[in-house]
Amino acid sequence: MRKASMYAALVLLAAVSVVPFLWMLATSFKHGQDIYSKVPSLLPLDRKTGEWAATLGNYDYVLGVGGLGGAFVNSVWVCAVLVPAKLLIDALAAYAFARIPFPGRDRLFVIMLGGMMVPAITLLVPRIHVTQSLGMFDTGWGLIVPNIASVLDIFLMRQFFLSLPAELEEAALIDGAGRMRIFWTIVLPLSKPVLAVVTITSFLFHWNDLVWPLLVTNDPELYTLPLALQQLVASPDGGRAYYIMAGATLAVLPVIAVLLVFQRRILAGIAFTGLKG
Amino acid sequence: MAAPALADERVAAGPGGRARRGPGRRRDHLVGALLVAPALVYFLVFLLYPALSALYYSFTDWNLRSDANWVGLANYADLLFDDVKYPHFWTSVRVTLQYTLIAVPLTLVAALAQALLLNAIRRGANLFRLLLFLPVVTAEAAVGAIWRWLYDPQYGLINTLLGLVGIPGQNWLNTPELVIPALAFIAAWQCGISMIIYLAGLKGIPGTIQEAAVIDGAGPWQRFWRVTFPMLRPTTFYLLVTGVIAALQVFGLVYVIFSGNGRSVTGGPEQSGLTYVLHLYLFAFRYDAMGAACAMSFILLVFIVIVTALQFRFVRQEAS
Repeated sequence: MRKASMYAALVLLAAVSVVPFLWMLATSFKHGQDIYSKVPSLLPLDRKTGEWAATLGNYDYVLGVGGLGGAFVNSVWVCAVLVPAKLLIDALAAYAFARIPFPGRDRLFVIMLGGMMVPAITLLVPRIHVTQSLGMFDTGWGLIVPNIASVLDIFLMRQFFLSLPAELEEAALIDGAGRMRIFWTIVLPLSKPVLAVVTITSFLFHWNDLVWPLLVTNDPELYTLPLALQQLVASPDGGRAYYIMAGATLAVLPVIAVLLVFQRRILAGIAFTGLKG
Repeated sequence: MAAPALADERVAAGPGGRARRGPGRRRDHLVGALLVAPALVYFLVFLLYPALSALYYSFTDWNLRSDANWVGLANYADLLFDDVKYPHFWTSVRVTLQYTLIAVPLTLVAALAQALLLNAIRRGANLFRLLLFLPVVTAEAAVGAIWRWLYDPQYGLINTLLGLVGIPGQNWLNTPELVIPALAFIAAWQCGISMIIYLAGLKGIPGTIQEAAVIDGAGPWQRFWRVTFPMLRPTTFYLLVTGVIAALQVFGLVYVIFSGNGRSVTGGPEQSGLTYVLHLYLFAFRYDAMGAACAMSFILLVFIVIVTALQFRFVRQEAS
């Protein structure tokens, strides 16, 4: 009996969580007039006859005229370049901080960790200014380079590298292997769990990020998907929920796919780091 | 004799790092520095320099049209005390505090309730956890777009559902008193990260303690308040501190929710949704008042430090 009420509560909470997505999906397939129904429906039905009346026209419109097609491609590009580059830069630094001694190393690491304490908002204005000074404002580089490393990711990977048995690497050193070879052939293959967490969270963060593209681009050709969606909301089409929901679906589906495939790693990673992005 | 010497070297090299002698050691120095170099350059250019220059510019009248002139504490003084020059500064402070005071507790309660339920069942727990987590991975642009439509006064799902139970529909995002609760509800809808962390905390409570409480005749209610909740205090404290820091910086969602025509943002009816960072954004990128915006960002930084310190002082003390 108590179990039953627990399941009832969970079903209710899960409905609150999921129904907005179902409604988004339904709206995105509805014909314009059908969303103005007295009784909102979670299926794309005709407003008058109640018959099935789904359309792909909304997607056609937002991908083309709405500019979300180009933005989708931009988002894919930014993530395809940014996520691996960031992973590489962070992993190399993390490995040195964990294993390769050089003068001042630990002091430098502590200073960089201190930089994490400054709220992102404080840095936003001058960061834009730096990006401008480097000639990257309103360019594709501006979307990528100012995000190309993360102190948090370096920290997470360093902690993981430190937890690997040092004897393996020491044996390889004695056998005459260089540091880089040890990194590629021993350390990285053993570090798949942390590499996966860092890759997935950084993909989710940059795929979803609205604020940085909003600040660093003016040219609609450079808009990423979240920014293009926000612009659609802000446009005269903003009142046309069937367009907006088609756009939202395009932004949401890829991350839901990633969540479904990698859910175990994502959830374990959050319990481990307690942070997102 | 060789072993202790090696041990000393390892200590000198830091945790787990094996120092080498002679040319190998020099090469290590070079390789280590090279590997760190890209991240270090990034740190200097995009973190350290912006932080220092933000501090400098907060003492200037910098805008995009002219050079920055030193004005001392004028930005800070004007923001805090000149309500002619900055009429909405304190409005944005009030809006942000209201939002934080409603959204953070609501999020924690929702997250804890979900975690307790998930922890109590076996069958289907993974599926429910996944469904409850969905809102978290969703882009804030999409979240804003979806909730604008859910809150739609005429055709939105929320008012329809309320109508089913006889509650009259509201114009949620256009009624000043309802804007903050409506935004806080979205925050609670996205409580999945806190839920996962609570779940990890619950798994960390030894089953023997709960069993002992059962043997001592404690009911579920007593067990929650006397055993579970006290054991979760470190988790709650962590989520409270990080939740407050995040809530004080809320921006993207509000920006989307109150998107007007083109790039204009209104801050909601009668500035009821004008959060602090939205206000900061408007100063920096709409009114070109970069100096004032930098001063605002440092006022926020100081405020966050004070609030966090107070929580460590009072909440954690109570918790221990």
